[in-house]
Amino acid sequence: MPDDPSIAAPIAGTLRAEAMRQTSGYELPVYPFVAPAELRGKLGRHPVVIVGGGLTGLTAACDLALRGVPAVLVDEDDTVGVRGASSRGICYAQKSLEIFKRLGVYERIAAKGVRWSVGRTLAGHDEVYRFDLKTARTHDVSEQPPFINLQQFYLEWFLVDRIYELGTVELRWKSKVLALVPHRDHVELTIATPAGEYRLDAQWLIDCSGAHNPLRQMVGVAADTHQSIDRWCISDVRFNEQPPAERWTWIEAPFNNGRAVWQHLMADNVWRLDYQMPTDTDPEEISRPEVVAERLRRQFGTEVDFELVWVGAYSYRSQCLHAFRAGRIFFAGDAAHVMSPFGARGGNSGIQDADNLCWKLALVLQGRAPERLLDSYDAERRAAALENICITNRTTRFLSPETPLEHVFRAAVISLARETDFARALINTGRLSTPTCYSSSPLNIASRAGARRKRQRARHAGGPGNRPSGRPAGHAIQNVALTLPDGAACDLVALQQQAPDSVLCVLCMEVDAYFAQELERLEADYPVRFVCVRGVDGAASQFPTAIDFDDKLLVELGALGEPGTIRRAALVRPDLHLAGTLDDPGAADLERALRKVLAIEP
Amino acid sequence: MTTLKNDLNLQDADGFYEQLLNSHRDLTEQESAQLNARLILVLANQVGDADKLTQCLELAARPWRVKV
Repeated sequence: MPDDPSIAAPIAGTLRAEAMRQTSGYELPVYPFVAPAELRGKLGRHPVVIVGGGLTGLTAACDLALRGVPAVLVDEDDTVGVRGASSRGICYAQKSLEIFKRLGVYERIAAKGVRWSVGRTLAGHDEVYRFDLKTARTHDVSEQPPFINLQQFYLEWFLVDRIYELGTVELRWKSKVLALVPHRDHVELTIATPAGEYRLDAQWLIDCSGAHNPLRQMVGVAADTHQSIDRWCISDVRFNEQPPAERWTWIEAPFNNGRAVWQHLMADNVWRLDYQMPTDTDPEEISRPEVVAERLRRQFGTEVDFELVWVGAYSYRSQCLHAFRAGRIFFAGDAAHVMSPFGARGGNSGIQDADNLCWKLALVLQGRAPERLLDSYDAERRAAALENICITNRTTRFLSPETPLEHVFRAAVISLARETDFARALINTGRLSTPTCYSSSPLNIASRAGARRKRQRARHAGGPGNRPSGRPAGHAIQNVALTLPDGAACDLVALQQQAPDSVLCVLCMEVDAYFAQELERLEADYPVRFVCVRGVDGAASQFPTAIDFDDKLLVELGALGEPGTIRRAALVRPDLHLAGTLDDPGAADLERALRKVLAIEP
Repeated sequence: MTTLKNDLNLQDADGFYEQLLNSHRDLTEQESAQLNARLILVLANQVGDADKLTQCLELAARPWRVKV
């Protein structure tokens, strides 16, 4: 299965409905339509309106609720998930899980979902490639696992529960956007509901309306689109005998006429099997229960005992809007970008869009950062979308060779992969979602060593190359475990949550009384929170302190060394991306850096 | 950016050419295409350097002026 068919569009409109009838499906919550104040004649301007209650919209709503922004979310439907009780995305990546930890829904996701880290790729009957994400450098220090698989509607359900619990954001169901008029200082929407139409005014609008993005057409934002000829058919199935909790991908499955097959587990013991189909396939035919059953018997043997949960044929496209911000409108999730499902990059990048935008919006609404900060959403998330589209397109080209020559090269890769290490790296059944490094973000601060530090470094044996440099500016810092001085467990997310709208300035240095005074002035003038992080032997500080017993954070920040020899500060944004590090900074250096991170100065 | 070495680097040019032809002897056209593809991948891994590989592809594709 492609890991995240978030743009899975049924080829024939009847498929989902048919699938519903023949399966037990799931019981999903239905939310009530409540007539809003506007229908009683009260017209107000809301700070933020979110259009679309899918994964991205609900993540944004939950994030804004936590930041105390009274946003309004409108959704056409009155339940979670895609109509027809199917799941689109099923794999949630570590960065998403860290975000959900912050939003307060991670525990439920972990309890309901399935953890996995082993992936196997097979060609014919042989394994040609295998990975274990637990041992990968990119995933090894977070408190959250590399991936959790879960039906998307559960996630949305947990988010809706949490939003209701927080109470700050209003969820308006059965509410469809009919028209949109952008103004200089607000956006005017016309909303259709069962109780009639009304006008809804928003200071800022986040469009999370999904892959069909009607709003971007209303405001005339152009997009680059490429439709793939690749065709797949999902069969979600419950078995009596469970396959292993691993991601198995066949590039050439003998039981699917040499085409690809994905096999992955979700909650409730439901397996997602996804079969690559001939490009000229008839979607109605391949979705018939008898045909699906025959495919399953070819894969699992004639005796296989199963219950069909859902069937759906789909194709996919890649698409990226030319701009993710148009005045007061932001495009996020599938409304901004769609891509092939390989690597679970669609849903996960939508979640990160929301994570990127909400802290910026909150700061601008609080008047603590200029509107210019919002431009970085386009710069950072559009770069991320283009990266994801590039990566998923490469997988598509590997999985769906379009010419005889492309087949020859793929066969060469597969045959060499059986014999050599290097060719295994060319096997591409999806490069699993990882957070994009915002390497050319306008908010990044250039690393600059203070004069004193330079002199010290020159004296050290081995020179600067001796010390780990840590992550580059723009990189996502993982949610590492930390310990508070009283012995209580903590982590980076929890540390950041103590001042959720602030830039976290991690000080890997001793702070004397005079410097502390200067830092307190910065805390009064800017949304910044200073925290000292030290290894086992570091000195105490009057600032909140966390102890990094395993040196995980210090390694991430490149601040590991003998106590007293390293004086480094790292600016970590509310979305836990590193804005940059400063060696041996003074208060003026830190102020300059903060003004860059908050877009106060370009 | 590394610049491609277009002067002679092969230790035994004629010997290599002979081995290249020999390796295809008695193969069908399809098998030969497979061998060539495998050979390209093996050689590419020996080169390693991304810039250099781009230049190799550009040099090889020059008669057709295609974008690599």
